[in-house]
Amino acid sequence: MEVTVWSGWVAGLAIGLFVVLHFWLIGKPAGCSTGYGNVCGLLCKKVRYYHEGEYETKSNIKLWFLIGIPIGGLIAALTSDTPWHISFDMGMYEAILPQSDAAKAIWLIFGGMLLGFGARLAGACTTGHALVGGAMLNPPSLLAGAVFFMSAFLTTRLLFGT
Amino acid sequence: MKRGQHHLPLLQGGSLTFMNFVHAYRINILGLLMGVLFGFLMSRAGATTFDFHAKMFLFEDFQLMEVIGTAVIIAIIGVFIMKKLHVNAIATGTEVDFVKKPYQQGLIAGAFLFGVGWAMTAACPGTIPAMIAEGKIGAVFSLIGLLLGTLAYGILQSFIANNGSYSAALK
Repeated sequence: MEVTVWSGWVAGLAIGLFVVLHFWLIGKPAGCSTGYGNVCGLLCKKVRYYHEGEYETKSNIKLWFLIGIPIGGLIAALTSDTPWHISFDMGMYEAILPQSDAAKAIWLIFGGMLLGFGARLAGACTTGHALVGGAMLNPPSLLAGAVFFMSAFLTTRLLFGT
Repeated sequence: MKRGQHHLPLLQGGSLTFMNFVHAYRINILGLLMGVLFGFLMSRAGATTFDFHAKMFLFEDFQLMEVIGTAVIIAIIGVFIMKKLHVNAIATGTEVDFVKKPYQQGLIAGAFLFGVGWAMTAACPGTIPAMIAEGKIGAVFSLIGLLLGTLAYGILQSFIANNGSYSAALK
């Protein structure tokens, strides 16, 4: 379960430099959630929205960026101190999540649906709005980032009952 | 001689083919490499560990706050310098496009729903693929939900664009 974690300042420095490197190499802001639209377009041939406009070509940088993320995660897990293993342990969330595995899965699917729908409705996810939008000091992104944090803060507080 | 044939040695021909391939798909290849780096950094930053998300909002551990705070400050400085210098992008050779996401209708509602989803899954779209690769089964279900949610938005938008016509929206 436990992967090696760097100190927050070091990791933050690396991610900040990553954002700048992405701008310099690709010439466009980094983003994650738009790539899921490409995946939906590939999976569902019938939904028009994911075949028009920015989703016209689906094999673009957004999709390949998304494909790269698990490779990076795997490298990080394999180079961690604890060996790679599969687990359905949610850590602290075990205390507030439903007890049965099926109910836990349904809970996570529902949460994931809110993530996917909310990200598209807001235009971007934590990466696109809070991190990269924040780096450009883009007012709509700062607003979205603030709402992300406020709403997640309130929900977590309610869930943990504090 | 047939079209497309050449008399170069295998190694040279192969390396030229490879270079051609890399050149033609350089943006996608760079995107893949950046994705690998991003996934690795997300994992090392602790963003793929469920507990850090809960601890951040419960004010028990500020790991992720430090990460995002430092990252945004470094990136603000970097973006500022790049704008001043009018840096050209490596992959395209044209000036870096600092295109900003516009305000769109439903941004606040969407951001609110996203936050609830964040608290429920302890993940965000960028970390879910990395979590799956780390062997966290929970993230597989989050990914299923994420794709369903994205799909729902696409279907809704298709309906709106086609004035609620069922046959025109799903074609």
